[in-house]
Amino acid sequence: MTAAATGPETRRDHYDAVIVGAGWSGSLIAGRLGGQGWRVLLLEAGEGGTESWSGHLDSVSTYRSAVAKVPNSAYRHNTAAPSPDVLDLSPKKGGGYTADGYFVQDGPLPYRTDYLRALGGSGMHWLGAVPRMHADDFATGTTYGYGRDWPLTAKDLEPYYEEAERELGVAGDAAEQRKLGVVSDPDYVYPMHAIPRSHIDEHCRRIDGAEITDPMEDTRTLHVTGIPQARNSTPNPAYDRKKGYRPKGAVGLPNYGERCVGNASCVPICPAQAKSSPLRVQADLPENVTLLTRRVVTRVLRGQDTRVRGVEYRAYNDPASSVSEARSVRADIVVLAGHAIENARLLLFSELAKTSDQVGRNLMDHPTTLAWALAERSVGPYRGPGHTSGWEDFRFHGKRGERAPFRIEISNWGWSWATGAPMSNVTSALGLGGDAGGTVKPDGLLGPDLRRKLGDDIGRQLQLQIAVEQSANPKNRVTIDPSRHRDALGNPRPILTYDLDPHTRDGVYAAYRVSEKIFAALEATPYTDHKPVHGVPQLGHFRHRETDLTYQGAGHGAGTHIMGEHANDSVVDSYQRTHDHPNLYAVGCGSMPSIGTSNPTLTMSALALRSAEQIHRDLAALNQPVVVRSAAGEKEKA
Amino acid sequence: MNPVPHPVPGEVVRFVDLSVHLTGFPVFDLHATGMAEMYLDTARQQVGRSRFDEFLKALRKACAPRLGPAKLEPTDREIARAVTYLWYTGAWPRLAVAAHADLRREMANREFVVTPSAYTEGLVWSTFHGHPAGAKPPGYGTWSIEPAAPPSLAEIERECGLERKDATDHPTEEHRQDERADEAAFAAHRLPGPRVARDVPPSAVPTARAQEPEGNPA
Ligand SMILES: Cc1cc2nc3c(=O)[nH]c(=O)nc-3n(C[C@H](O)[C@H](O)[C@H](O)COP(=O)(O)OP(=O)(O)OC[C@H]3O[C@@H](n4cnc5c(N)ncnc54)[C@H](O)[C@@H]3O)c2cc1C
Ligand code: SF4
Repeated sequence: MTAAATGPETRRDHYDAVIVGAGWSGSLIAGRLGGQGWRVLLLEAGEGGTESWSGHLDSVSTYRSAVAKVPNSAYRHNTAAPSPDVLDLSPKKGGGYTADGYFVQDGPLPYRTDYLRALGGSGMHWLGAVPRMHADDFATGTTYGYGRDWPLTAKDLEPYYEEAERELGVAGDAAEQRKLGVVSDPDYVYPMHAIPRSHIDEHCRRIDGAEITDPMEDTRTLHVTGIPQARNSTPNPAYDRKKGYRPKGAVGLPNYGERCVGNASCVPICPAQAKSSPLRVQADLPENVTLLTRRVVTRVLRGQDTRVRGVEYRAYNDPASSVSEARSVRADIVVLAGHAIENARLLLFSELAKTSDQVGRNLMDHPTTLAWALAERSVGPYRGPGHTSGWEDFRFHGKRGERAPFRIEISNWGWSWATGAPMSNVTSALGLGGDAGGTVKPDGLLGPDLRRKLGDDIGRQLQLQIAVEQSANPKNRVTIDPSRHRDALGNPRPILTYDLDPHTRDGVYAAYRVSEKIFAALEATPYTDHKPVHGVPQLGHFRHRETDLTYQGAGHGAGTHIMGEHANDSVVDSYQRTHDHPNLYAVGCGSMPSIGTSNPTLTMSALALRSAEQIHRDLAALNQPVVVRSAAGEKEKA
Repeated sequence: MNPVPHPVPGEVVRFVDLSVHLTGFPVFDLHATGMAEMYLDTARQQVGRSRFDEFLKALRKACAPRLGPAKLEPTDREIARAVTYLWYTGAWPRLAVAAHADLRREMANREFVVTPSAYTEGLVWSTFHGHPAGAKPPGYGTWSIEPAAPPSLAEIERECGLERKDATDHPTEEHRQDERADEAAFAAHRLPGPRVARDVPPSAVPTARAQEPEGNPA
């Protein structure tokens, strides 16, 4: 089914649906429409190869040999379809930052999130934490006076959440999620039993019941709570009215990856493929779906009236060069599933869906602030999935209107994100690298002292990753300027303008203060440090309420083709169909009016499955014999 | 009886013997990585062959009776750290600028991972009974189990055959625990601090700063 540019070219020049992008959203919709018999073309800009076992092993090696093991470190650079990378950003000495990659950035603060343009998209390097959103998250505008409301409720999405949990292959504890208030069906169980909690989670559970008051005088009682994960564990025989669930394992190697073995590298790559990825959905695509890689869609083509008629794309053979060939294909329905920022870029360049002036606006992420400390004794970091539990207590209700809510992830990977540990522990303990002036340091440890010190320090590392809600703000946006900023293939590069508004900053501030209280309760020694280093403000640094703070990107780009009821203030309707063009869909996190404090992919997948139903209805209506259609018309008139 | 000829070249054996003093891991563990020869080659390439031989000579002298950074000249000290970093992480680090300049190296002063398998053989993981992220997975659910305590200094020294003869020179384990409290005041500089950006390689991460009592005020 999957073919590179060198493979057979599209067999037809007209399809029922053409889908742009083979990440989670594109793959799920292709799978659904394919299953219903529609002829679907799925165009993927990036490289394939990872769907074979040898290609996968090549990615694992690429990751192992990377100095900075960032989300895109397992995947090669692609000139024809470049990806943004967190390594593209650097702070400037006096403040501010530079952006030297695919994104052009001109906002007060850097947008620190990346994505991956390769087969499977960002679903290749994601972590796989898949919490649902809470009913409280869908109407913050009405309830709390900030952000935008959804045209849907948690109840409307519930059946699609369940479907998405099947498609993604989720392991979780439904009873615990019911208690949290995000699962309401009293009989629901997840396809697989929860992934075992880490020893670090247990260490943190010692302070369950402790009361923590944030700077807004909002007091919460702590409960360590597990996180549902798209990662294989033990199937639950009670699932689906006792039909059970068969985990899907590795793509390209049979009977492998059916259970997580604790490689502890889920971001950027799970060597066992126990972490779910869109490749699993792609492996099951039927014959009537054609998936082509190395096809970069450049524009959506306008048709008659308000309809679109297809897409224009460029096919290339060599990802290291810009040599490519222009082609086009027609389809009854066009679905943009290229990621929030890419979808916006395509709509802007195609000059479509312009009525609301909201395309590209409302760009969101979960600004994530890190807090780190040393526990009193070894807790066992660098083991198991990135995180298995968190403190969910500051996510909903209360003073949410005054400060953005936040979700506290308990990291299982020590200080790696904040400091580059454990490698950087070796640096500091040795005294390697010289002082600020470049002189060789006089002191440091070697031999048994070094080994002893590292064993003691690294084994005690605790890190909290606190994801703060960011609400829709039209000033945070994606634009293009084709006359100035294009990539090697001639496609306009995304220009990002990004900032954190006071509500979000207050959330980051409250999160930081809460982390200090948590560490005190745990009797851990805090090392959190947001201050400038040798006069250089850390990337993502800002001062708020007389405190130095920093945030990281979470990878949760959203909001750029925002969903709403009205054509004058939103881009897509609740089915992710553009208000302006009845046969053009834009799917993915870009549609989300708000993202609460939940990692967005499960909600995004639920939306995609709901859209697939509507696309099916649209196609069925389009394909009805003319007589039937007119008969129905007659009836209506009568 | 004739001794079985050693399959490992003599220079590699000698390099490993000296590396025990650098790393605090015994000969057996160092050979078991399968990386010794490649590390020797890498270090020679980075420093220059004859300069590296000079370094080994200085190191041999500094090891008796016990190695400490002060026993080496600054550039040799930085080479010693770089070789140790190589064993611990599988990567050649960025050196102190002064040492890089002193060595008149022709290559860029940049951190690089020697090979994908060097990364997975890094010793740092076993200091805390861990496994390299993305390799040698210990199995389903193992992350729930309480980790074993890391070995004491005395155990490490015994394992390496580096027991101290001089008893006063040899702090007991209880003494060490007490020491941790005193250390806290100045230990921060032995811990990593924040990276100003994600592209700062681990060998260029600044050391942590001591915590101010107020936490993180202006
Ligand atoms: C480090 C990291 C960790 C994450 N962890 C989590 C997590 O734990 N939980 C969670 O819920 N979410 C997580 N996410 C977010 C998650 O990865 C995304 O929400 C999700 O993958 C988005 O899916 P998508 O299909 O909309 O877009 P993508 O996965 O980005 O896929 C889009 C696809 O479209 C292709 N494409 C783009 N432009 C074109 C074009 N012009 N023509 C043709 N094809 C094109 C791309 O190559 C890509 O394959 C994480 C993200 C990152 C970066
Ligand atoms: S912990 Fe390891 S095996 Fe499990 S999903 Fe993550 S990378 Fe894969």
